Amino acid sequence: MRRRAARSPRLPVLALRALFVLVVLASLAAGVAGGLLRAGVTAVVPLDAPWVGHAVASHAFLMMCSFMGTVIGIERAVAVKLRSAFVAPAASGAAGLLMLAGVEQPAAWLAVAASAAFVCVNVVVWTRQRAAHTAVLLAGADAWFVGNLLLALGARTASVVPWWFCFLVLTIAAERLEMTRLMRRHRGAAPALVVTLAALLVGATAFSLAPVWGSWIFGAALLGLAAWLIAFDIARKTIAAHGLSRYMAVCLLLGYGWLGISGAAWIATAAGLHARDLALHALALGFIFSMMLGHAPVILPAIARVKLLFGWPFYAALAVLHGSLALRLGWGAFDIRAWSSGAAANAIAIALFGLTVACSAIAWRVKNRHTVKRGHDEVAAQH
Amino acid sequence: MSDVPPIAPYPYTGPQALQAPIEDALRRVVDPELAMTIVDVGLIYGVTVNAQRVHVLLTMTSAACPVTDVIVDDVETALDRVLPRELKIHVELVWEPPWTSDRLSERAKAFMGW
Repeated sequence: MRRRAARSPRLPVLALRALFVLVVLASLAAGVAGGLLRAGVTAVVPLDAPWVGHAVASHAFLMMCSFMGTVIGIERAVAVKLRSAFVAPAASGAAGLLMLAGVEQPAAWLAVAASAAFVCVNVVVWTRQRAAHTAVLLAGADAWFVGNLLLALGARTASVVPWWFCFLVLTIAAERLEMTRLMRRHRGAAPALVVTLAALLVGATAFSLAPVWGSWIFGAALLGLAAWLIAFDIARKTIAAHGLSRYMAVCLLLGYGWLGISGAAWIATAAGLHARDLALHALALGFIFSMMLGHAPVILPAIARVKLLFGWPFYAALAVLHGSLALRLGWGAFDIRAWSSGAAANAIAIALFGLTVACSAIAWRVKNRHTVKRGHDEVAAQH
Repeated sequence: MSDVPPIAPYPYTGPQALQAPIEDALRRVVDPELAMTIVDVGLIYGVTVNAQRVHVLLTMTSAACPVTDVIVDDVETALDRVLPRELKIHVELVWEPPWTSDRLSERAKAFMGW
Protein backbone atom coordinates (compact mmCIF):
# COMPACT_ATOMS: atom_id res chain seq x y z
CA MET A 1 0.00 0.00 0.00
CA ARG A 2 1.38 3.44 -0.79
CA ARG A 3 0.90 7.02 -1.92
CA ARG A 4 2.95 8.32 -4.85
CA ALA A 5 4.48 6.44 -7.69
CA ALA A 6 8.07 6.30 -6.54
CA ARG A 7 9.80 3.12 -5.46
CA SER A 8 13.56 3.34 -5.58
CA PRO A 9 15.08 -0.09 -6.24
CA ARG A 10 18.02 -1.13 -4.10
CA LEU A 11 21.56 -1.10 -5.45
CA PRO A 12 21.90 -4.92 -5.86
CA VAL A 13 18.65 -4.96 -7.85
CA LEU A 14 19.91 -2.17 -10.11
CA ALA A 15 23.26 -3.97 -10.53
CA LEU A 16 21.50 -7.22 -11.50
CA ARG A 17 19.29 -5.37 -13.98
CA ALA A 18 22.36 -3.71 -15.50
CA LEU A 19 24.08 -7.11 -15.73
CA PHE A 20 21.08 -8.62 -17.55
CA VAL A 21 20.98 -5.66 -19.95
CA LEU A 22 24.70 -6.05 -20.69
CA VAL A 23 24.43 -9.81 -21.28
CA VAL A 24 21.40 -9.37 -23.57
CA LEU A 25 23.11 -6.60 -25.54
CA ALA A 26 26.34 -8.62 -25.79
CA SER A 27 24.42 -11.63 -27.15
CA LEU A 28 22.59 -9.44 -29.65
CA ALA A 29 25.73 -7.59 -30.78
CA ALA A 30 27.74 -10.79 -31.15
CA GLY A 31 24.87 -12.58 -32.90
CA VAL A 32 24.43 -9.70 -35.35
CA ALA A 33 28.21 -9.53 -35.93
CA GLY A 34 28.23 -13.24 -36.70
CA GLY A 35 25.31 -12.81 -39.08
CA LEU A 36 26.99 -9.88 -40.85
CA LEU A 37 30.16 -11.89 -41.45
CA ARG A 38 28.08 -14.78 -42.81
CA ALA A 39 26.58 -12.26 -45.27
CA GLY A 40 30.03 -11.03 -46.25
CA VAL A 41 29.82 -7.71 -44.42
CA THR A 42 33.18 -7.14 -42.74
CA ALA A 43 33.36 -3.35 -42.41
CA VAL A 44 32.06 -2.98 -38.85
CA VAL A 45 33.19 -6.27 -37.28
CA PRO A 46 36.59 -6.48 -35.49
CA LEU A 47 37.89 -9.49 -37.43
CA ASP A 48 40.88 -10.13 -35.13
CA ALA A 49 38.77 -10.36 -31.96
CA PRO A 50 38.97 -13.86 -30.43
CA TRP A 51 35.17 -14.24 -30.16
CA VAL A 52 34.39 -13.44 -33.79
CA GLY A 53 34.87 -16.97 -35.12
CA HIS A 54 32.58 -18.35 -32.42
CA ALA A 55 30.01 -15.64 -33.17
CA VAL A 56 29.93 -16.72 -36.82
CA ALA A 57 29.64 -20.41 -35.94
CA SER A 58 27.01 -19.81 -33.25
CA HIS A 59 24.92 -17.08 -34.92
CA ALA A 60 21.61 -18.96 -34.49
CA PHE A 61 22.39 -19.96 -30.89
CA LEU A 62 23.31 -16.39 -29.95
CA MET A 63 20.24 -14.84 -31.57
CA MET A 64 17.59 -17.39 -30.58
CA CYS A 65 18.83 -18.82 -27.27
CA SER A 66 21.08 -16.18 -25.71
CA PHE A 67 19.31 -13.06 -26.92
CA MET A 68 15.65 -13.95 -27.46
CA GLY A 69 15.64 -16.81 -24.93
CA THR A 70 17.06 -14.52 -22.26
CA VAL A 71 14.67 -11.66 -23.02
CA ILE A 72 11.67 -14.02 -23.00
CA GLY A 73 12.98 -15.66 -19.81
CA ILE A 74 13.19 -12.26 -18.08
CA GLU A 75 9.72 -11.36 -19.38
CA ARG A 76 8.21 -14.56 -17.95
CA ALA A 77 10.12 -14.22 -14.65
CA VAL A 78 8.74 -10.69 -14.22
CA ALA A 79 5.25 -12.03 -14.94
CA VAL A 80 5.36 -14.84 -12.36
CA LYS A 81 7.06 -12.60 -9.74
CA LEU A 82 9.41 -15.34 -8.53
CA ARG A 83 13.11 -14.65 -7.98
CA SER A 84 13.93 -18.28 -8.75
CA ALA A 85 12.42 -17.80 -12.23
CA PHE A 86 15.38 -15.57 -13.13
CA VAL A 87 17.60 -18.67 -13.10
CA ALA A 88 16.42 -19.44 -16.65
CA PRO A 89 17.47 -16.13 -18.28
CA ALA A 90 20.64 -15.98 -16.17
CA ALA A 91 21.65 -19.43 -17.46
CA SER A 92 20.73 -18.72 -21.11
CA GLY A 93 22.63 -15.42 -21.00
CA ALA A 94 25.68 -17.10 -19.47
CA ALA A 95 25.44 -19.89 -22.07
CA GLY A 96 25.84 -17.25 -24.80
CA LEU A 97 28.96 -15.84 -23.15
CA LEU A 98 30.43 -19.35 -22.82
CA MET A 99 29.67 -20.01 -26.47
CA LEU A 100 31.50 -16.80 -27.42
CA ALA A 101 34.45 -17.92 -25.29
CA GLY A 102 34.61 -21.10 -27.37
CA VAL A 103 33.58 -23.56 -24.64
CA GLU A 104 30.78 -25.02 -26.72
CA GLN A 105 29.79 -28.15 -24.84
CA PRO A 106 29.39 -26.51 -21.39
CA ALA A 107 27.50 -23.69 -23.15
CA ALA A 108 25.14 -26.18 -24.79
CA TRP A 109 24.45 -27.99 -21.50
CA LEU A 110 23.94 -24.68 -19.69
CA ALA A 111 21.34 -23.84 -22.35
CA VAL A 112 19.66 -27.19 -21.59
CA ALA A 113 19.56 -26.18 -17.91
CA ALA A 114 18.18 -22.74 -18.86
CA SER A 115 15.36 -24.21 -20.90
CA ALA A 116 14.60 -26.84 -18.21
CA ALA A 117 14.24 -24.00 -15.69
CA PHE A 118 12.09 -22.12 -18.20
CA VAL A 119 9.82 -25.17 -18.56
CA CYS A 120 9.36 -25.13 -14.76
CA VAL A 121 8.45 -21.43 -14.85
CA ASN A 122 5.84 -22.15 -17.52
CA VAL A 123 4.44 -25.00 -15.43
CA VAL A 124 3.90 -22.37 -12.70
CA VAL A 125 2.08 -20.15 -15.22
CA TRP A 126 -0.02 -23.12 -16.33
CA THR A 127 -1.00 -24.03 -12.76
CA ARG A 128 -2.03 -20.40 -12.13
CA GLN A 129 -4.12 -20.18 -15.28
CA ARG A 130 -5.15 -23.41 -17.00
CA ALA A 131 -5.98 -21.99 -20.41
CA ALA A 132 -5.20 -22.77 -24.04
CA HIS A 133 -2.65 -19.97 -24.34
CA THR A 134 -0.70 -21.00 -21.21
CA ALA A 135 -0.61 -24.58 -22.55
CA VAL A 136 0.86 -23.27 -25.83
CA LEU A 137 3.44 -21.26 -23.87
CA LEU A 138 4.44 -24.45 -22.05
CA ALA A 139 4.67 -26.34 -25.35
CA GLY A 140 6.95 -23.57 -26.66
CA ALA A 141 9.22 -23.92 -23.62
CA ASP A 142 9.31 -27.70 -24.15
CA ALA A 143 10.35 -27.15 -27.78
CA TRP A 144 13.24 -24.95 -26.62
CA PHE A 145 14.32 -27.70 -24.21
CA VAL A 146 14.20 -30.35 -26.96
CA GLY A 147 16.24 -28.16 -29.33
CA ASN A 148 18.87 -27.41 -26.69
CA LEU A 149 19.08 -31.08 -25.69
CA LEU A 150 19.59 -32.11 -29.33
CA LEU A 151 22.39 -29.53 -29.63
CA ALA A 152 24.08 -30.76 -26.45
CA LEU A 153 23.84 -34.34 -27.69
CA GLY A 154 25.64 -33.37 -30.89
CA ALA A 155 22.85 -32.94 -33.43
CA ARG A 156 23.48 -30.75 -36.47
CA THR A 157 22.44 -27.10 -36.02
CA ALA A 158 20.15 -27.46 -39.06
CA SER A 159 18.12 -30.07 -37.15
CA VAL A 160 18.06 -27.95 -34.00
CA VAL A 161 17.00 -24.65 -35.59
CA PRO A 162 13.38 -25.78 -36.30
CA TRP A 163 12.96 -26.56 -32.58
CA TRP A 164 14.27 -23.13 -31.62
CA PHE A 165 11.86 -21.59 -34.12
CA CYS A 166 9.05 -23.65 -32.56
CA PHE A 167 9.94 -22.13 -29.18
CA LEU A 168 9.71 -18.57 -30.49
CA VAL A 169 6.74 -19.10 -32.82
CA LEU A 170 4.68 -20.92 -30.17
CA THR A 171 5.49 -18.20 -27.63
CA ILE A 172 4.19 -15.54 -30.03
CA ALA A 173 1.20 -17.66 -31.08
CA ALA A 174 0.22 -18.18 -27.43
CA GLU A 175 0.23 -14.46 -26.79
CA ARG A 176 -1.84 -13.79 -29.92
CA LEU A 177 -4.28 -16.58 -29.02
CA GLU A 178 -4.79 -14.94 -25.64
CA MET A 179 -5.54 -11.60 -27.30
CA THR A 180 -8.10 -13.13 -29.68
CA ARG A 181 -10.33 -13.71 -26.64
CA LEU A 182 -11.20 -10.03 -26.96
CA MET A 183 -12.87 -10.67 -30.30
CA ARG A 184 -15.91 -12.73 -31.19
CA ARG A 185 -13.96 -15.77 -32.25
CA HIS A 186 -15.08 -18.46 -34.65
CA ARG A 187 -15.76 -21.74 -32.82
CA GLY A 188 -13.17 -23.60 -34.87
CA ALA A 189 -10.43 -20.99 -34.41
CA ALA A 190 -8.74 -22.41 -31.30
CA PRO A 191 -8.78 -26.05 -32.54
CA ALA A 192 -7.42 -24.87 -35.91
CA LEU A 193 -4.52 -23.16 -34.15
CA VAL A 194 -3.79 -26.25 -32.05
CA VAL A 195 -3.68 -28.41 -35.19
CA THR A 196 -1.41 -25.89 -36.94
CA LEU A 197 1.02 -25.68 -34.02
CA ALA A 198 1.01 -29.46 -33.63
CA ALA A 199 1.95 -29.69 -37.32
CA LEU A 200 4.81 -27.28 -36.67
CA LEU A 201 6.14 -29.56 -33.92
CA VAL A 202 5.70 -32.61 -36.18
CA GLY A 203 7.64 -30.75 -38.88
CA ALA A 204 10.49 -30.00 -36.45
CA THR A 205 10.57 -33.65 -35.39
CA ALA A 206 10.47 -34.91 -38.98
CA PHE A 207 13.27 -32.52 -39.97
CA SER A 208 15.82 -34.54 -37.98
CA LEU A 209 14.77 -37.82 -39.65
CA ALA A 210 13.79 -36.73 -43.17
CA PRO A 211 14.65 -33.06 -43.84
CA VAL A 212 12.61 -32.85 -47.06
CA TRP A 213 9.41 -34.08 -45.41
CA GLY A 214 10.21 -31.96 -42.36
CA SER A 215 10.50 -28.83 -44.52
CA TRP A 216 7.19 -29.58 -46.25
CA ILE A 217 5.33 -29.98 -42.98
CA PHE A 218 7.10 -27.10 -41.23
CA GLY A 219 6.44 -24.76 -44.17
CA ALA A 220 2.80 -25.77 -44.47
CA ALA A 221 2.33 -25.18 -40.72
CA LEU A 222 3.88 -21.71 -40.96
CA LEU A 223 1.60 -20.88 -43.89
CA GLY A 224 -1.38 -22.12 -41.88
CA LEU A 225 -0.34 -20.04 -38.89
CA ALA A 226 0.01 -16.92 -41.05
CA ALA A 227 -3.49 -17.48 -42.43
CA TRP A 228 -4.86 -18.05 -38.91
CA LEU A 229 -3.27 -14.87 -37.55
CA ILE A 230 -4.47 -12.76 -40.47
CA ALA A 231 -7.98 -14.17 -40.06
CA PHE A 232 -8.36 -14.01 -36.29
CA ASP A 233 -5.84 -11.62 -34.73
CA ILE A 234 -6.99 -8.36 -33.12
CA ALA A 235 -4.44 -6.44 -35.21
CA ARG A 236 -7.05 -6.06 -37.97
CA LYS A 237 -9.14 -4.12 -35.44
CA THR A 238 -6.39 -2.23 -33.60
CA ILE A 239 -4.90 -0.94 -36.88
CA ALA A 240 -7.88 1.43 -36.78
CA ALA A 241 -6.75 2.77 -33.39
CA HIS A 242 -4.03 5.38 -32.99
CA GLY A 243 -0.55 5.87 -31.53
CA LEU A 244 1.17 2.86 -30.03
CA SER A 245 -1.76 0.50 -30.64
CA ARG A 246 -1.71 1.21 -34.37
CA TYR A 247 2.09 0.89 -34.51
CA MET A 248 1.86 -2.53 -32.83
CA ALA A 249 -0.81 -3.61 -35.30
CA VAL A 250 1.39 -2.53 -38.24
CA CYS A 251 4.30 -4.57 -36.80
CA LEU A 252 2.02 -7.58 -36.37
CA LEU A 253 0.44 -7.46 -39.84
CA LEU A 254 3.79 -6.96 -41.60
CA GLY A 255 5.13 -9.87 -39.56
CA TYR A 256 2.24 -12.12 -40.61
CA GLY A 257 3.08 -11.38 -44.25
CA TRP A 258 6.70 -12.47 -43.75
CA LEU A 259 5.52 -15.51 -41.80
CA GLY A 260 3.53 -16.64 -44.83
CA ILE A 261 6.48 -15.94 -47.15
CA SER A 262 8.72 -17.97 -44.85
CA GLY A 263 6.27 -20.88 -44.92
CA ALA A 264 6.30 -20.85 -48.72
CA ALA A 265 10.11 -20.71 -48.69
CA TRP A 266 10.40 -23.74 -46.36
CA ILE A 267 8.23 -25.61 -48.86
CA ALA A 268 10.39 -24.30 -51.72
CA THR A 269 13.54 -25.66 -50.05
CA ALA A 270 11.79 -29.02 -49.75
CA ALA A 271 11.16 -28.85 -53.49
CA GLY A 272 14.87 -28.34 -54.09
CA LEU A 273 14.89 -24.57 -54.65
CA HIS A 274 17.56 -22.33 -53.10
CA ALA A 275 15.41 -20.47 -50.59
CA ARG A 276 17.06 -21.27 -47.26
CA ASP A 277 18.00 -17.65 -46.38
CA LEU A 278 14.44 -16.61 -47.24
CA ALA A 279 13.00 -19.47 -45.14
CA LEU A 280 15.14 -18.64 -42.11
CA HIS A 281 15.23 -14.85 -42.14
CA ALA A 282 11.72 -14.07 -43.33
CA LEU A 283 10.78 -15.97 -40.17
CA ALA A 284 13.51 -14.73 -37.80
CA LEU A 285 13.65 -11.08 -38.87
CA GLY A 286 10.41 -10.51 -40.78
CA PHE A 287 8.13 -12.24 -38.30
CA ILE A 288 9.89 -12.63 -34.93
CA PHE A 289 11.88 -9.38 -34.92
CA SER A 290 8.86 -7.46 -36.19
CA MET A 291 6.93 -8.82 -33.18
CA MET A 292 9.78 -7.72 -30.90
CA LEU A 293 9.85 -4.21 -32.38
CA GLY A 294 6.10 -4.01 -31.91
CA HIS A 295 6.04 -5.16 -28.32
CA ALA A 296 9.26 -3.57 -27.07
CA PRO A 297 7.61 -0.20 -26.23
CA VAL A 298 5.25 -2.13 -23.92
CA ILE A 299 7.52 -4.89 -22.64
CA LEU A 300 10.68 -2.84 -22.00
CA PRO A 301 8.99 -0.59 -19.41
CA ALA A 302 7.79 -3.77 -17.70
CA ILE A 303 11.06 -5.68 -17.59
CA ALA A 304 13.60 -2.85 -17.45
CA ARG A 305 11.39 -0.38 -15.51
CA VAL A 306 12.16 2.31 -18.08
CA LYS A 307 9.25 4.32 -19.48
CA LEU A 308 9.28 5.23 -23.17
CA LEU A 309 7.62 8.09 -24.99
CA PHE A 310 6.11 6.63 -28.15
CA GLY A 311 6.42 8.65 -31.36
CA TRP A 312 6.80 8.39 -35.12
CA PRO A 313 10.56 7.53 -35.02
CA PHE A 314 9.55 3.98 -34.07
CA TYR A 315 8.13 3.65 -37.58
CA ALA A 316 11.52 4.61 -39.07
CA ALA A 317 13.29 1.56 -37.62
CA LEU A 318 10.36 -0.63 -38.64
CA ALA A 319 10.49 0.71 -42.22
CA VAL A 320 14.25 0.12 -42.43
CA LEU A 321 13.84 -3.43 -41.11
CA HIS A 322 11.16 -4.44 -43.59
CA GLY A 323 12.67 -2.47 -46.49
CA SER A 324 16.10 -4.00 -45.94
CA LEU A 325 14.58 -7.45 -45.62
CA ALA A 326 12.81 -6.99 -48.95
CA LEU A 327 16.17 -5.91 -50.47
CA ARG A 328 18.03 -8.87 -48.95
CA LEU A 329 15.48 -11.58 -49.62
CA GLY A 330 13.98 -10.19 -52.86
CA TRP A 331 16.58 -8.51 -55.03
CA GLY A 332 19.32 -10.24 -53.02
CA ALA A 333 18.23 -13.59 -54.45
CA PHE A 334 19.61 -12.41 -57.83
CA ASP A 335 22.41 -10.04 -56.80
CA ILE A 336 24.88 -10.94 -54.05
CA ARG A 337 25.74 -7.27 -53.42
CA ALA A 338 22.08 -6.52 -52.78
CA TRP A 339 21.98 -9.54 -50.45
CA SER A 340 24.97 -8.23 -48.43
CA SER A 341 23.64 -4.65 -48.43
CA GLY A 342 20.25 -5.88 -47.25
CA ALA A 343 21.88 -7.84 -44.42
CA ALA A 344 23.91 -4.77 -43.40
CA ALA A 345 20.74 -2.67 -43.42
CA ASN A 346 19.01 -5.33 -41.27
CA ALA A 347 21.69 -4.64 -38.64
CA ILE A 348 21.25 -0.88 -39.11
CA ALA A 349 17.51 -1.31 -38.46
CA ILE A 350 18.23 -3.08 -35.16
CA ALA A 351 20.75 -0.38 -34.16
CA LEU A 352 18.29 2.34 -35.19
CA PHE A 353 15.61 0.73 -33.07
CA GLY A 354 17.99 0.61 -30.09
CA LEU A 355 18.75 4.31 -30.60
CA THR A 356 15.03 5.09 -30.87
CA VAL A 357 14.35 3.28 -27.59
CA ALA A 358 17.18 5.16 -25.84
CA CYS A 359 15.99 8.53 -27.16
CA SER A 360 12.35 7.80 -26.30
CA ALA A 361 13.37 6.90 -22.72
CA ILE A 362 15.15 10.26 -22.44
CA ALA A 363 12.17 12.01 -24.06
CA TRP A 364 9.82 10.46 -21.47
CA ARG A 365 12.05 11.67 -18.62
CA VAL A 366 12.17 15.19 -20.08
CA LYS A 367 8.42 15.31 -20.66
CA ASN A 368 7.62 14.00 -17.18
CA ARG A 369 10.47 15.67 -15.30
CA HIS A 370 8.08 17.69 -13.10
CA THR A 371 6.08 14.59 -12.17
CA VAL A 372 9.24 12.56 -11.50
CA LYS A 373 10.74 15.36 -9.44
CA ARG A 374 7.51 15.76 -7.44
CA GLY A 375 7.54 12.02 -6.72
CA HIS A 376 11.14 12.11 -5.52
CA ASP A 377 10.53 15.21 -3.42
CA GLU A 378 7.60 13.53 -1.70
CA VAL A 379 9.65 10.40 -1.02
CA ALA A 380 12.43 12.58 0.38
CA ALA A 381 9.91 14.42 2.56
CA GLN A 382 8.61 11.11 3.96
CA HIS A 383 12.13 10.20 5.06
CA MET B 1 -28.73 15.28 -9.80
CA SER B 2 -25.86 12.80 -9.53
CA ASP B 3 -22.88 12.65 -11.89
CA VAL B 4 -22.50 8.93 -11.18
CA PRO B 5 -23.16 6.79 -14.27
CA PRO B 6 -26.42 4.85 -14.14
CA ILE B 7 -24.74 1.43 -14.40
CA ALA B 8 -21.42 1.11 -12.56
CA PRO B 9 -18.86 -0.89 -14.56
CA TYR B 10 -17.69 -2.62 -11.34
CA PRO B 11 -18.96 -2.98 -7.76
CA TYR B 12 -18.23 0.16 -5.74
CA THR B 13 -18.54 0.63 -2.00
CA GLY B 14 -17.70 3.97 -0.42
CA PRO B 15 -18.53 7.67 -0.44
CA GLN B 16 -20.56 8.64 -3.48
CA ALA B 17 -18.49 11.82 -3.88
CA LEU B 18 -15.41 9.70 -4.71
CA GLN B 19 -17.09 7.25 -7.09
CA ALA B 20 -16.89 9.41 -10.22
CA PRO B 21 -13.32 10.71 -9.64
CA ILE B 22 -12.10 7.14 -9.03
CA GLU B 23 -13.79 5.83 -12.16
CA ASP B 24 -12.43 8.73 -14.21
CA ALA B 25 -8.93 8.02 -12.88
CA LEU B 26 -9.21 4.31 -13.68
CA ARG B 27 -10.46 5.16 -17.17
CA ARG B 28 -7.19 7.05 -17.74
CA VAL B 29 -5.23 3.78 -17.43
CA VAL B 30 -5.06 2.32 -20.91
CA ASP B 31 -4.04 -1.12 -22.13
CA PRO B 32 -1.33 -0.06 -24.59
CA GLU B 33 -1.99 -2.70 -27.24
CA LEU B 34 -5.76 -2.42 -27.22
CA ALA B 35 -6.08 1.37 -26.94
CA MET B 36 -8.86 0.67 -24.43
CA THR B 37 -9.12 1.60 -20.79
CA ILE B 38 -8.75 -1.11 -18.16
CA VAL B 39 -12.34 -0.34 -17.15
CA ASP B 40 -13.60 -1.07 -20.68
CA VAL B 41 -11.54 -4.28 -20.85
CA GLY B 42 -13.19 -5.30 -17.57
CA LEU B 43 -10.02 -5.64 -15.52
CA ILE B 44 -11.45 -3.85 -12.45
CA TYR B 45 -13.34 -6.31 -10.25
CA GLY B 46 -14.28 -3.81 -7.56
CA VAL B 47 -13.38 -0.71 -5.55
CA THR B 48 -13.91 -0.26 -1.82
CA VAL B 49 -13.24 3.02 -0.02
CA ASN B 50 -13.23 3.45 3.78
CA ALA B 51 -11.91 6.20 6.01
CA GLN B 52 -8.29 5.03 5.68
CA ARG B 53 -7.85 3.54 2.24
CA VAL B 54 -8.98 2.76 -1.28
CA HIS B 55 -8.88 -0.92 -2.15
CA VAL B 56 -8.94 -1.84 -5.86
CA LEU B 57 -9.37 -5.41 -7.08
CA LEU B 58 -7.62 -5.77 -10.43
CA THR B 59 -7.18 -8.76 -12.72
CA MET B 60 -5.21 -9.46 -15.89
CA THR B 61 -6.26 -11.38 -18.97
CA SER B 62 -3.14 -13.58 -18.74
CA ALA B 63 -1.02 -14.94 -15.89
CA ALA B 64 1.95 -14.66 -18.26
CA CYS B 65 1.50 -10.91 -18.70
CA PRO B 66 4.73 -9.08 -17.78
CA VAL B 67 3.02 -5.68 -17.90
CA THR B 68 1.09 -6.30 -14.67
CA ASP B 69 3.37 -4.17 -12.47
CA VAL B 70 3.27 -1.32 -14.95
CA ILE B 71 -0.54 -1.32 -14.96
CA VAL B 72 -0.65 -1.53 -11.14
CA ASP B 73 1.75 1.43 -11.01
CA ASP B 74 -0.39 3.36 -13.48
CA VAL B 75 -3.54 2.67 -11.43
CA GLU B 76 -1.84 3.86 -8.24
CA THR B 77 -0.50 6.98 -9.94
CA ALA B 78 -3.88 7.81 -11.54
CA LEU B 79 -5.70 7.40 -8.21
CA ASP B 80 -3.03 9.36 -6.36
CA ARG B 81 -3.79 12.39 -8.51
CA VAL B 82 -7.48 12.54 -7.60
CA LEU B 83 -7.81 11.18 -4.06
CA PRO B 84 -7.43 13.04 -0.75
CA ARG B 85 -3.87 12.73 0.55
CA GLU B 86 -4.91 10.94 3.75
CA LEU B 87 -6.29 7.94 1.85
CA LYS B 88 -3.90 5.05 1.31
CA ILE B 89 -4.11 3.26 -2.06
CA HIS B 90 -4.05 -0.52 -2.23
CA VAL B 91 -4.28 -2.31 -5.59
CA GLU B 92 -4.74 -6.06 -5.20
CA LEU B 93 -4.14 -8.41 -8.13
CA VAL B 94 -6.70 -11.23 -8.21
CA TRP B 95 -7.16 -14.22 -10.52
CA GLU B 96 -10.59 -15.41 -9.37
CA PRO B 97 -12.96 -15.37 -11.07
CA PRO B 98 -10.91 -15.70 -14.27
CA TRP B 99 -11.35 -12.88 -16.79
CA THR B 100 -13.67 -13.67 -19.69
CA SER B 101 -14.84 -11.64 -22.67
CA ASP B 102 -18.22 -11.20 -20.89
CA ARG B 103 -16.48 -8.49 -18.87
CA LEU B 104 -15.82 -6.29 -21.93
CA SER B 105 -17.84 -3.08 -21.95
CA GLU B 106 -20.27 -2.35 -24.78
CA ARG B 107 -17.81 0.23 -26.08
CA ALA B 108 -14.99 -2.34 -26.10
CA LYS B 109 -17.16 -4.93 -27.80
CA ALA B 110 -18.17 -2.45 -30.47
CA PHE B 111 -14.51 -1.60 -31.15
CA MET B 112 -13.60 -5.29 -31.36
CA GLY B 113 -16.43 -6.00 -33.79
CA TRP B 114 -18.80 -8.01 -31.55
